Amino acid sequence: MLNRRILVILKREILTRLFSKAFIIMTLLIPLFMFGIIGFQVFVNTYESDHGTTLKIVAPNTYAMQKFQAAFAQADVVKNGTYKISFDTLGGKTGEAYTQEYKEKLLQEKLNGIFIVPEKALENKEINYYSTNPNNPTVFGKVRSVINEVLIDMYFKDRSLSKSDKEFVRKGVNFESFRVTKNQKIEEEGSGNLILSFIFTFFLYFSLLMIGTNLMRSVIEEKSSKIVEVILSSVNAKELMIGKILGTAITGLVQMAIWLIPIVVVAQTSLFALPENFQIKVDLWMLGYFLYNFVVSLVTYLGIFAAVGAMFDSDQDAQSGMWPVMILIMIPFFIAMGLPARGDNSLSMITSMLPFTALMVMPARLALISVPAWQVLVSIVVNIGLMLTTFSLAGKIYRVGILATGKKATYQDLVKWLKIK
Amino acid sequence: MHAIEVKNLVKRFDGITAVENVSFTVPEGAIFGLIGRNGAGKTTTLRMLMNVYMPDEGEVLVRGASAGHEFRERSGYLPEERGLYKKLKVFETLLFFAELKNAYGKEVEEKAVEYLKKFDLYDRRNSKLEDLSKGNQQKIQFLSTIIHNPDFLVLDEPFSGLDPVNTNILKEIILDLKKQGKVIIFSTHLMDFAERMCDTITMIDKGKVILAGNLQEIKAKFAEGTVKIVCDGDIGYLQDLPYVEKLTTFGNTATVKVTEGGYVQDVLKKMVEKDTRVHSFISNEITLHEIFIALAGDDNDVHVQSGGKNA
Repeated sequence: MLNRRILVILKREILTRLFSKAFIIMTLLIPLFMFGIIGFQVFVNTYESDHGTTLKIVAPNTYAMQKFQAAFAQADVVKNGTYKISFDTLGGKTGEAYTQEYKEKLLQEKLNGIFIVPEKALENKEINYYSTNPNNPTVFGKVRSVINEVLIDMYFKDRSLSKSDKEFVRKGVNFESFRVTKNQKIEEEGSGNLILSFIFTFFLYFSLLMIGTNLMRSVIEEKSSKIVEVILSSVNAKELMIGKILGTAITGLVQMAIWLIPIVVVAQTSLFALPENFQIKVDLWMLGYFLYNFVVSLVTYLGIFAAVGAMFDSDQDAQSGMWPVMILIMIPFFIAMGLPARGDNSLSMITSMLPFTALMVMPARLALISVPAWQVLVSIVVNIGLMLTTFSLAGKIYRVGILATGKKATYQDLVKWLKIK
Repeated sequence: MHAIEVKNLVKRFDGITAVENVSFTVPEGAIFGLIGRNGAGKTTTLRMLMNVYMPDEGEVLVRGASAGHEFRERSGYLPEERGLYKKLKVFETLLFFAELKNAYGKEVEEKAVEYLKKFDLYDRRNSKLEDLSKGNQQKIQFLSTIIHNPDFLVLDEPFSGLDPVNTNILKEIILDLKKQGKVIIFSTHLMDFAERMCDTITMIDKGKVILAGNLQEIKAKFAEGTVKIVCDGDIGYLQDLPYVEKLTTFGNTATVKVTEGGYVQDVLKKMVEKDTRVHSFISNEITLHEIFIALAGDDNDVHVQSGGKNA
């Protein structure tokens, strides 16, 4: 299939692309951009601007107040100075009346919140919180377990409970997640693979778009600058298309390698100490599948992009005419991006085996859950079938399109072109 | 054996036949002109010759064998619609086109340097094509056609868009390549170029061959019984003479075709009789242009006189 003429075309494609400034810049920028987005989200989610929070815990009586004081004195948030907590007793007032006295302080944010522990709370654990920002999960998260402990201790004070009983009662419920696979070992799972599935999808999407539009532009350039006729006197249209697609695909692979190597390094070595929760588990065959899938996706979509490029004489015309291709990339992308929430439902199962969507949904699914082998096989067969079909259809369109001049081609013309022998 | 033999080529687009059963032969070492007006089917024919278009019917034989990749490697093609990679450098452009034709290595590089020096472009060898003037781009375009030292040159309207200086340069190169024994095929609608350069021509009109053969023979054949006249006044009366086959006038010049060489004298006699002032009267000479118009002209191109009126 590969002959000397194809190699000449392929070489030129690689050389002009790989060393172009735009390619180098984009290759470096996209991972930065992506990690920027992830980093920003993580930052927003974990950033707690609660240093210096001052709280007041108002107990129903002095005994309870001392208990709270003692418990919070041991709590990390107080020990490391993040929270300043003062204590008081209600002194028979209602919570509302008590808060009224501190309203000014609360409004000026000299005091961030008041926990009112009424007498009844010792029985039902209903506690009132007064603040200008009353629904603050960060504060609740840090205070809840300490208050709970105190309430439990006081409740069981007069009952003879062993220390271990008390500890059991104090303890909350904790979920640890484990991934079940065919493998013998059941492994503990962090959110690392969620990120991995996101990364796979994101890289695939960006690469297809970027590499694809690059190829489309280059086809348009050759067509509009009329150079294609000179080339076609040495090389036939099919060889030209194969050379261009393979050359472009190789630059795509290089780009993907540049993007993936850091991830493999992070996953396989301990050079970067990721928090345990973010550990990424990439086994080699998953990486292998991703690369196979990437090559097939590239060839499939590049064929389509080449055909679209051959239809138009200018970038502007192509921009407006490429929406069907965009849909073919966007829909799989959005299905794959929505996957974490429903990795194992029937929509994701079916779309991971349908033409086009399989190219993005299957790798994301593989990163998330254990996919039965038959589904992977079906997906591979569907992908390769799609690749061969689009390649031969695109070849026909390309062959006629690159020499067509005059009025702008429409999608109706394509049908005509496909019928030409 | 002919260098190139084109047999019964047919090409249809959307039901319209652009080239209909075109056949011609190109002898070795000749300059061959494919002539005809715009839209006659010249470009389509050359594209089929170069395999840019697949012919619907017919075939191209090169030295007796079906034209394949070897032919394309041994030929240089300059299409009418020209183009180069704008971002590619001059030297790289030449090497790329040579490589497409399976020519690479030191020899090609030396050839490229030699050509660039000859065309005063050596100091621009590392410039991008887009930074060159249009004339220089045309030179590079032509150099990229001949860089691999082809045996066959196929040039589609090579003179269109060239300034007089470049036209002369190109003409010299073509004649020089002919001396080296190359087979040169070019298409043109400019009859005087064809007349001055071609050994053999094929004239096509509306996709069909209307005239073919050795240029000198064709001219001799058409010149027989043809008179070119420059005169004052209306000479429409010549049309009524029984031995005048055709009268074509352009302003004060006219071409008269008589049925037999011997009648030329009678035409002159008649004009003297009619007291027409004759400035020049040349017999048995004809230009390719006139042959072309006689064969393919219609109301849009020429004014064929009828009924004694000057148009």
